Amino acid sequence: MNRPMHPPDGHDFDQDLARALAAGKDLPIPGFAERAVLAVRADRRRRTLLRWGSGLTTAAACLLAAFVLQGRGDDALAQRAHALAASDESRQLNDILGLVDELSLLTPVVDRHSVVEALINPEL
Amino acid sequence: MSPEELPPPEDEEDKRLMTLVASGDDDALRLLVHRHHARLVGYLRAEVGSQATAEELAMEVFIRLHRAAGRWRPEAKLTTYLIHIARNLVLNEWRRRGRKPTTALESAPEPGDLSHDSARRVGELDEAFRQAVALLPPEQRTAILLLVQQEMPYEDIAAVMEAPVSSVKTWIHRARTRLRELLKDYYGPA
Repeated sequence: MNRPMHPPDGHDFDQDLARALAAGKDLPIPGFAERAVLAVRADRRRRTLLRWGSGLTTAAACLLAAFVLQGRGDDALAQRAHALAASDESRQLNDILGLVDELSLLTPVVDRHSVVEALINPEL
Repeated sequence: MSPEELPPPEDEEDKRLMTLVASGDDDALRLLVHRHHARLVGYLRAEVGSQATAEELAMEVFIRLHRAAGRWRPEAKLTTYLIHIARNLVLNEWRRRGRKPTTALESAPEPGDLSHDSARRVGELDEAFRQAVALLPPEQRTAILLLVQQEMPYEDIAAVMEAPVSSVKTWIHRARTRLRELLKDYYGPA
Protein backbone atom coordinates (compact mmCIF):
# COMPACT_ATOMS: atom_id res chain seq x y z
CA MET A 1 0.00 0.00 0.00
CA ASN A 2 1.20 3.45 -0.83
CA ARG A 3 0.88 4.94 2.62
CA PRO A 4 3.01 7.71 4.16
CA MET A 5 5.65 6.52 6.59
CA HIS A 6 5.01 9.49 8.84
CA PRO A 7 1.86 11.15 10.10
CA PRO A 8 1.10 14.77 9.31
CA ASP A 9 3.52 17.19 10.92
CA GLY A 10 3.14 17.91 14.63
CA HIS A 11 1.12 14.79 15.42
CA ASP A 12 1.76 11.62 17.31
CA PHE A 13 -0.09 8.35 17.77
CA ASP A 14 -2.03 9.27 20.92
CA GLN A 15 -3.03 12.70 19.67
CA ASP A 16 -4.16 11.29 16.34
CA LEU A 17 -6.13 8.49 18.01
CA ALA A 18 -7.88 10.97 20.28
CA ARG A 19 -8.64 13.34 17.42
CA ALA A 20 -9.93 10.57 15.15
CA LEU A 21 -12.24 9.12 17.78
CA ALA A 22 -13.43 12.50 18.98
CA ALA A 23 -14.50 13.59 15.50
CA GLY A 24 -18.25 14.16 15.58
CA LYS A 25 -18.43 12.90 19.14
CA ASP A 26 -20.45 15.80 20.47
CA LEU A 27 -22.35 16.71 17.32
CA PRO A 28 -25.95 17.50 18.28
CA ILE A 29 -28.62 15.95 16.06
CA PRO A 30 -31.44 18.38 15.27
CA GLY A 31 -34.80 17.17 16.54
CA PHE A 32 -33.38 14.12 18.29
CA ALA A 33 -34.61 15.14 21.75
CA GLU A 34 -38.15 15.70 20.48
CA ARG A 35 -38.15 12.35 18.67
CA ALA A 36 -36.90 10.65 21.80
CA VAL A 37 -39.71 12.18 23.87
CA LEU A 38 -42.27 10.99 21.30
CA ALA A 39 -40.74 7.51 21.34
CA VAL A 40 -40.88 7.44 25.13
CA ARG A 41 -44.54 8.53 25.11
CA ALA A 42 -45.37 5.80 22.59
CA ASP A 43 -43.55 3.26 24.74
CA ARG A 44 -45.43 4.51 27.82
CA ARG A 45 -48.79 4.08 26.04
CA ARG A 46 -47.82 0.63 24.77
CA ARG A 47 -46.83 -0.53 28.25
CA THR A 48 -50.02 0.88 29.75
CA LEU A 49 -52.06 -1.02 27.19
CA LEU A 50 -50.06 -4.17 27.87
CA ARG A 51 -50.64 -3.78 31.61
CA TRP A 52 -54.38 -3.34 31.11
CA GLY A 53 -54.49 -6.19 28.62
CA SER A 54 -52.60 -8.42 30.99
CA GLY A 55 -54.91 -7.49 33.87
CA LEU A 56 -58.03 -8.12 31.81
CA THR A 57 -56.67 -11.43 30.57
CA THR A 58 -55.89 -12.49 34.12
CA ALA A 59 -59.35 -11.47 35.33
CA ALA A 60 -61.00 -13.32 32.44
CA ALA A 61 -58.91 -16.41 33.18
CA CYS A 62 -59.92 -16.27 36.85
CA LEU A 63 -63.61 -15.97 35.96
CA LEU A 64 -63.37 -18.84 33.51
CA ALA A 65 -61.53 -20.99 36.02
CA ALA A 66 -64.13 -20.24 38.70
CA PHE A 67 -66.95 -21.11 36.31
CA VAL A 68 -65.34 -24.34 35.20
CA LEU A 69 -64.44 -25.40 38.72
CA GLN A 70 -67.94 -24.64 39.95
CA GLY A 71 -69.45 -26.80 37.20
CA ARG A 72 -66.97 -29.51 37.90
CA GLY A 73 -67.88 -29.37 41.61
CA ASP A 74 -71.57 -29.94 40.90
CA ASP A 75 -70.76 -32.87 38.63
CA ALA A 76 -68.47 -34.36 41.23
CA LEU A 77 -71.12 -34.08 43.94
CA ALA A 78 -73.73 -35.69 41.70
CA GLN A 79 -71.36 -38.54 40.85
CA ARG A 80 -70.56 -39.11 44.50
CA ALA A 81 -74.27 -39.12 45.39
CA HIS A 82 -74.97 -41.68 42.67
CA ALA A 83 -72.07 -43.81 43.88
CA LEU A 84 -73.32 -43.68 47.45
CA ALA A 85 -76.80 -44.56 46.32
CA ALA A 86 -75.48 -47.43 44.23
CA SER A 87 -73.52 -48.79 47.19
CA ASP A 88 -76.50 -48.52 49.55
CA GLU A 89 -77.61 -52.15 49.93
CA SER A 90 -80.73 -51.26 51.89
CA ARG A 91 -81.81 -48.95 49.08
CA GLN A 92 -81.22 -51.81 46.60
CA LEU A 93 -83.27 -54.11 48.77
CA ASN A 94 -86.05 -51.60 48.95
CA ASP A 95 -86.01 -51.30 45.18
CA ILE A 96 -86.29 -55.10 44.86
CA LEU A 97 -89.12 -55.29 47.36
CA GLY A 98 -90.91 -52.35 45.76
CA LEU A 99 -91.05 -50.34 48.96
CA VAL A 100 -91.91 -46.68 48.91
CA ASP A 101 -89.25 -44.10 48.69
CA GLU A 102 -90.08 -42.71 52.10
CA LEU A 103 -89.07 -45.97 53.72
CA SER A 104 -85.74 -45.94 51.94
CA LEU A 105 -85.01 -42.65 53.65
CA LEU A 106 -85.20 -44.43 56.98
CA THR A 107 -83.26 -47.52 56.04
CA PRO A 108 -79.77 -46.19 56.57
CA VAL A 109 -80.51 -45.65 60.26
CA VAL A 110 -82.48 -48.89 60.74
CA ASP A 111 -81.00 -52.34 61.06
CA ARG A 112 -81.83 -53.76 57.68
CA HIS A 113 -81.96 -57.38 58.88
CA SER A 114 -84.74 -56.56 61.34
CA VAL A 115 -86.71 -54.76 58.63
CA VAL A 116 -86.36 -57.64 56.22
CA GLU A 117 -87.28 -60.13 58.94
CA ALA A 118 -90.33 -58.07 59.83
CA LEU A 119 -91.44 -57.93 56.24
CA ILE A 120 -91.13 -61.65 55.53
CA ASN A 121 -92.41 -62.89 58.86
CA PRO A 122 -96.18 -62.55 58.98
CA GLU A 123 -96.24 -63.18 62.74
CA LEU A 124 -94.45 -60.01 63.55
CA MET B 1 -18.42 20.64 53.10
CA SER B 2 -15.69 22.33 51.09
CA PRO B 3 -16.25 23.22 47.42
CA GLU B 4 -13.77 20.49 46.43
CA GLU B 5 -16.02 17.87 48.01
CA LEU B 6 -19.13 18.97 46.16
CA PRO B 7 -20.13 16.80 43.19
CA PRO B 8 -19.84 18.39 39.76
CA PRO B 9 -22.79 20.66 39.00
CA GLU B 10 -23.68 18.70 35.84
CA ASP B 11 -24.13 15.55 37.92
CA GLU B 12 -26.43 17.41 40.29
CA GLU B 13 -28.43 18.68 37.34
CA ASP B 14 -28.70 15.13 35.97
CA LYS B 15 -30.00 13.92 39.33
CA ARG B 16 -32.55 16.71 39.49
CA LEU B 17 -33.73 15.96 35.96
CA MET B 18 -33.94 12.23 36.62
CA THR B 19 -36.14 12.86 39.64
CA LEU B 20 -38.47 14.90 37.45
CA VAL B 21 -38.40 12.28 34.69
CA ALA B 22 -39.39 9.63 37.23
CA SER B 23 -42.43 11.72 38.09
CA GLY B 24 -43.45 11.84 34.42
CA ASP B 25 -42.06 15.24 33.44
CA ASP B 26 -41.50 15.08 29.67
CA ASP B 27 -39.86 18.50 29.58
CA ALA B 28 -37.18 17.22 31.95
CA LEU B 29 -36.76 14.17 29.73
CA ARG B 30 -36.35 16.39 26.68
CA LEU B 31 -33.67 18.40 28.47
CA LEU B 32 -31.91 15.24 29.62
CA VAL B 33 -31.86 13.84 26.10
CA HIS B 34 -30.62 17.16 24.77
CA ARG B 35 -27.74 17.12 27.25
CA HIS B 36 -26.54 13.58 26.52
CA HIS B 37 -27.63 12.43 23.08
CA ALA B 38 -24.70 13.77 21.06
CA ARG B 39 -22.08 12.04 23.17
CA LEU B 40 -24.13 8.85 23.28
CA VAL B 41 -24.66 8.73 19.52
CA GLY B 42 -20.94 9.43 19.03
CA TYR B 43 -20.04 6.41 21.13
CA LEU B 44 -22.61 4.17 19.46
CA ARG B 45 -21.55 5.24 15.97
CA ALA B 46 -17.96 4.29 16.79
CA GLU B 47 -19.20 0.91 18.07
CA VAL B 48 -21.60 -0.08 15.27
CA GLY B 49 -20.17 1.93 12.37
CA SER B 50 -23.51 3.35 11.26
CA GLN B 51 -25.09 6.71 12.06
CA ALA B 52 -28.66 5.42 11.51
CA THR B 53 -28.16 2.37 13.75
CA ALA B 54 -26.42 4.53 16.34
CA GLU B 55 -29.41 6.90 16.46
CA GLU B 56 -31.88 3.99 16.73
CA LEU B 57 -29.90 2.47 19.58
CA ALA B 58 -29.56 5.84 21.32
CA MET B 59 -33.33 6.25 21.12
CA GLU B 60 -33.72 2.82 22.75
CA VAL B 61 -31.25 3.85 25.46
CA PHE B 62 -33.45 6.80 26.43
CA ILE B 63 -36.60 4.64 26.36
CA ARG B 64 -34.93 2.21 28.76
CA LEU B 65 -33.65 5.06 30.88
CA HIS B 66 -37.21 6.36 31.17
CA ARG B 67 -38.52 2.91 32.13
CA ALA B 68 -35.88 2.64 34.85
CA ALA B 69 -36.19 6.25 36.06
CA GLY B 70 -38.33 5.27 39.06
CA ARG B 71 -35.77 2.71 40.19
CA TRP B 72 -32.66 4.74 39.34
CA ARG B 73 -30.35 5.47 42.24
CA PRO B 74 -27.63 8.05 41.64
CA GLU B 75 -24.72 5.95 42.90
CA ALA B 76 -23.01 6.25 39.53
CA LYS B 77 -22.89 9.17 37.14
CA LEU B 78 -25.75 9.25 34.68
CA THR B 79 -23.31 9.27 31.77
CA THR B 80 -21.83 6.00 33.02
CA TYR B 81 -25.33 4.54 33.37
CA LEU B 82 -26.27 5.62 29.85
CA ILE B 83 -23.12 4.13 28.34
CA HIS B 84 -23.76 0.92 30.30
CA ILE B 85 -27.23 0.59 28.75
CA ALA B 86 -25.80 1.51 25.35
CA ARG B 87 -23.11 -1.15 25.53
CA ASN B 88 -25.68 -3.83 26.41
CA LEU B 89 -27.70 -2.79 23.38
CA VAL B 90 -24.56 -2.97 21.22
CA LEU B 91 -23.93 -6.51 22.46
CA ASN B 92 -27.55 -7.41 21.61
CA GLU B 93 -27.14 -5.84 18.19
CA TRP B 94 -24.06 -7.95 17.49
CA ARG B 95 -25.88 -11.10 18.61
CA ARG B 96 -28.83 -10.18 16.40
CA ARG B 97 -26.55 -9.70 13.42
CA GLY B 98 -24.65 -12.86 14.26
CA ARG B 99 -21.31 -11.09 14.03
CA LYS B 100 -19.69 -7.86 15.06
CA PRO B 101 -19.70 -5.02 12.56
CA THR B 102 -16.32 -4.49 10.97
CA THR B 103 -14.97 -2.31 8.23
CA ALA B 104 -12.08 -3.49 6.13
CA LEU B 105 -9.02 -1.35 6.66
CA GLU B 106 -8.02 -2.05 3.06
CA SER B 107 -11.00 -0.02 1.85
CA ALA B 108 -9.40 3.20 3.10
CA PRO B 109 -8.55 5.63 0.31
CA GLU B 110 -4.99 5.46 -0.89
CA PRO B 111 -3.13 8.58 0.21
CA GLY B 112 -1.02 8.51 -2.94
CA ASP B 113 -4.10 8.90 -5.09
CA LEU B 114 -5.25 12.00 -3.32
CA SER B 115 -4.29 15.60 -2.92
CA HIS B 116 -1.30 16.44 -0.72
CA ASP B 117 -3.36 18.97 1.10
CA SER B 118 -2.56 18.74 4.82
CA ALA B 119 -6.19 18.87 5.93
CA ARG B 120 -7.03 16.04 3.58
CA ARG B 121 -4.17 13.96 4.94
CA VAL B 122 -5.45 14.50 8.45
CA GLY B 123 -8.90 13.38 7.34
CA GLU B 124 -7.45 10.26 5.75
CA LEU B 125 -5.49 9.47 8.88
CA ASP B 126 -8.60 9.89 11.00
CA GLU B 127 -10.49 7.51 8.72
CA ALA B 128 -7.65 4.98 8.94
CA PHE B 129 -7.81 5.19 12.74
CA ARG B 130 -11.57 4.70 12.80
CA GLN B 131 -11.36 1.70 10.52
CA ALA B 132 -8.53 0.23 12.56
CA VAL B 133 -10.57 0.65 15.74
CA ALA B 134 -13.47 -1.13 14.01
CA LEU B 135 -11.19 -4.13 13.46
CA LEU B 136 -10.39 -4.51 17.16
CA PRO B 137 -11.98 -7.31 19.21
CA PRO B 138 -15.15 -6.04 20.95
CA GLU B 139 -13.74 -5.68 24.46
CA GLN B 140 -10.64 -3.88 23.25
CA ARG B 141 -12.67 -1.55 21.05
CA THR B 142 -15.15 -0.67 23.78
CA ALA B 143 -12.38 -0.09 26.33
CA ILE B 144 -10.32 2.18 24.06
CA LEU B 145 -13.43 4.09 22.96
CA LEU B 146 -14.53 4.71 26.53
CA LEU B 147 -11.02 5.80 27.55
CA VAL B 148 -10.07 7.96 24.59
CA GLN B 149 -13.37 9.12 23.11
CA GLN B 150 -15.53 9.30 26.24
CA GLU B 151 -12.60 10.26 28.50
CA MET B 152 -13.85 7.93 31.23
CA PRO B 153 -11.64 6.85 34.14
CA TYR B 154 -10.66 3.19 34.41
CA GLU B 155 -13.08 2.63 37.29
CA ASP B 156 -16.05 3.86 35.27
CA ILE B 157 -15.01 1.78 32.27
CA ALA B 158 -14.82 -1.26 34.52
CA ALA B 159 -18.33 -0.48 35.81
CA VAL B 160 -19.72 -0.12 32.29
CA MET B 161 -18.06 -3.32 31.08
CA GLU B 162 -18.77 -5.20 34.32
CA ALA B 163 -15.13 -6.27 34.53
CA PRO B 164 -12.19 -5.74 36.88
CA VAL B 165 -10.04 -2.65 36.34
CA SER B 166 -7.08 -4.95 35.62
CA SER B 167 -8.97 -6.46 32.68
CA VAL B 168 -9.78 -3.00 31.37
CA LYS B 169 -6.11 -2.01 31.51
CA THR B 170 -5.17 -5.21 29.67
CA TRP B 171 -7.73 -4.60 26.93
CA ILE B 172 -6.55 -1.02 26.47
CA HIS B 173 -2.91 -2.06 26.30
CA ARG B 174 -3.72 -4.73 23.70
CA ALA B 175 -5.88 -2.29 21.75
CA ARG B 176 -3.07 0.24 21.50
CA THR B 177 -0.61 -2.45 20.47
CA ARG B 178 -3.01 -3.74 17.80
CA LEU B 179 -3.75 -0.26 16.51
CA ARG B 180 -0.04 0.45 16.14
CA GLU B 181 0.32 -2.78 14.16
CA LEU B 182 -2.60 -1.88 11.90
CA LEU B 183 -1.26 1.64 11.39
CA LYS B 184 2.41 0.75 11.12
CA ASP B 185 2.56 2.29 7.66
CA TYR B 186 1.86 5.63 9.29
CA TYR B 187 3.82 5.34 12.54
CA GLY B 188 6.31 2.56 11.98
CA PRO B 189 6.51 -0.66 14.04
CA ALA B 190 5.25 -0.54 17.65
